[in-house]
Amino acid sequence: MWDLIILNPFTNILLWIYNLIGQNFGLAIILFTLLIRVITWPLNAQQLKGAKVMQDLQSDKEWLDIQKKYAKDREKLAQEQMRLYQERGINPFASCLPTLIQFPIIIGLYQSITRALAATPLTLLQLARSIYPFMNASTIIPLNSHFLWMDLGRPEGLSFPGGFTISFLPYGFPTLAIIVAVTTYLQTKLTLPPSTNPNDQTAAMNSMMSIYMPLFLGWLVLNYASGLAVYFVTSNVLGIVQYAMMGRVNWRNILPNRNQSMPSNVKKSK
Amino acid sequence: MKQLPLLSFIFLSAILISACSSAATRGSSWPGLTADSNNVYLADGQFIYAARLSDGSKLWQYPDKAGAQQFFAAPLLTPDSQLIVGSAGTDQGLISLDPMTGKEKWSAPFTGAKDRWIVKPLVINDILYAPNNDGSLYALKLASGQLLWSMSFGNPLWGTPVTDGKYIYLTSLDHFLYSIDPQNQKIVWKVDLGGSATSSPALSTDKSTLYVGSFGSKVLAINDADGSIKWTTNTNAWIWSDPSINGSKVFVADINGQVYSLDASNGQNSWSSIKPDDSITGSPLSTSEGLIVTTESGSVYSLDSNGKVIWSASVGGKIYTAPVVSGNRVLVAPLGAQYLLYAINQKDGSMLPWHFDGK
Repeated sequence: MWDLIILNPFTNILLWIYNLIGQNFGLAIILFTLLIRVITWPLNAQQLKGAKVMQDLQSDKEWLDIQKKYAKDREKLAQEQMRLYQERGINPFASCLPTLIQFPIIIGLYQSITRALAATPLTLLQLARSIYPFMNASTIIPLNSHFLWMDLGRPEGLSFPGGFTISFLPYGFPTLAIIVAVTTYLQTKLTLPPSTNPNDQTAAMNSMMSIYMPLFLGWLVLNYASGLAVYFVTSNVLGIVQYAMMGRVNWRNILPNRNQSMPSNVKKSK
Repeated sequence: MKQLPLLSFIFLSAILISACSSAATRGSSWPGLTADSNNVYLADGQFIYAARLSDGSKLWQYPDKAGAQQFFAAPLLTPDSQLIVGSAGTDQGLISLDPMTGKEKWSAPFTGAKDRWIVKPLVINDILYAPNNDGSLYALKLASGQLLWSMSFGNPLWGTPVTDGKYIYLTSLDHFLYSIDPQNQKIVWKVDLGGSATSSPALSTDKSTLYVGSFGSKVLAINDADGSIKWTTNTNAWIWSDPSINGSKVFVADINGQVYSLDASNGQNSWSSIKPDDSITGSPLSTSEGLIVTTESGSVYSLDSNGKVIWSASVGGKIYTAPVVSGNRVLVAPLGAQYLLYAINQKDGSMLPWHFDGK
């Protein structure tokens, strides 16, 4: 079911783009990621809008009052919160639903890249069965997996001219891992929502996420096909661009030792 | 403690993405088998196993503990009693083992390739010719594993080379069959197969013709002297496996599960409707009784010269790779079955009273 609805169509679109642009798989990944971003743009926008409404509510006087008043009565607190949602016409799940819908799309994109790279006999056999008959698979395989200095089917390691590598690393110079980590850090920092509440646990979590997530993705890139790194970098850059176009980027957040600031179009509650 | 939810999230994400990136090690494996008259050698997942054919008991496994290695290529038994195995793991090592003990024989594995080893190498005299996924053919001293030379073909090499004693014939995923002169490392000729080739060519007994299938859904007979095409026969689907020659017949199977019996002289197919139960990626095996084929659904078929089923057996799991015969036993290594290795009586298809589970 998953293969039929998500994975096979995604794989074929990716390969179709690959063929269309002259069999450059790196460029195909970038364009495919862009295409998915464009398609999911309304969902992202809805998610951001929903998140902003919820965030504004956190600093609303009435909201803060009921938090204080019913701090010891959870049931009553929940009832009052629901009342407030209804009065203000707020759907508390408005920011979650688009994320849930996007999740299988992102997983499908990720899996289709892995499948198309077909680095093992079993994955090549799976790829052969995924390709629609009109695509003429025999002309597509083997995929040209070379892009810039990378072989997209293998973990990246950049050797310098003359075969120089960094001896203490089990890899070549981890250029892509660094780029992925940096762009992930930038995206997380730039898109962190502002918090006016010093005890805001979500803000604390977000702050930690901005450190752990780049390291985690950097580690992934060191160990998996570099085609995935191209996807991560593209996705991060497009994410920043989308936030910027919606006026939600906090450029000052990337500077060290600065308090999180409001984006230009967000006004503090008084 | 505040970081616990976040760390849990990252840990779960790591598991999820790792699962997405690659199936479990055995799940993405591609078992390879080799046997002599006494023992069977199995490359499966992260280990090479040796077991006695008489009772299926384990002789040894390599390495002792799972590490960075993963093995797809069938082990190669050499005339000077080495067992050559290539790793498809991140170590990318080509290793010489003692077939009796499983201990390494070379002073160190050959790690000069840039990618994984998918198929077993070829030995001619005292030189090992090993094709790698990095697109290069490596020539190594058989005794020591020392690199003599390498030739790059650009695209992954997934077919074991064959030789007529003078030239080496090698397929590539780049759609070509190459004839190579190992003396001067030059390409003598190359032929476009119309699609990628994951299989080895089969050389006729008089060493005049090469038969090879490809993802172009065709089988070609090629004059080994000059690379001219003698005939081409179209198939219904991709050919993944090696052709098998028996007398005047060339047997091939496609990934849709159809088996073809082609006249070696003109490519005429005499089996138009022989289609066992599933896809065939393991090379058919010619025997004195006829042909043994294995299917993805975990079945083994013995066919007579007319394509009639003599017997069939089901071992479960999925069989992707070629069976081997030793004595009266047919050995198969399915993926995802209860056991790693099954032995079947070649005469009647009955299961022999042992299975090998790697323990």
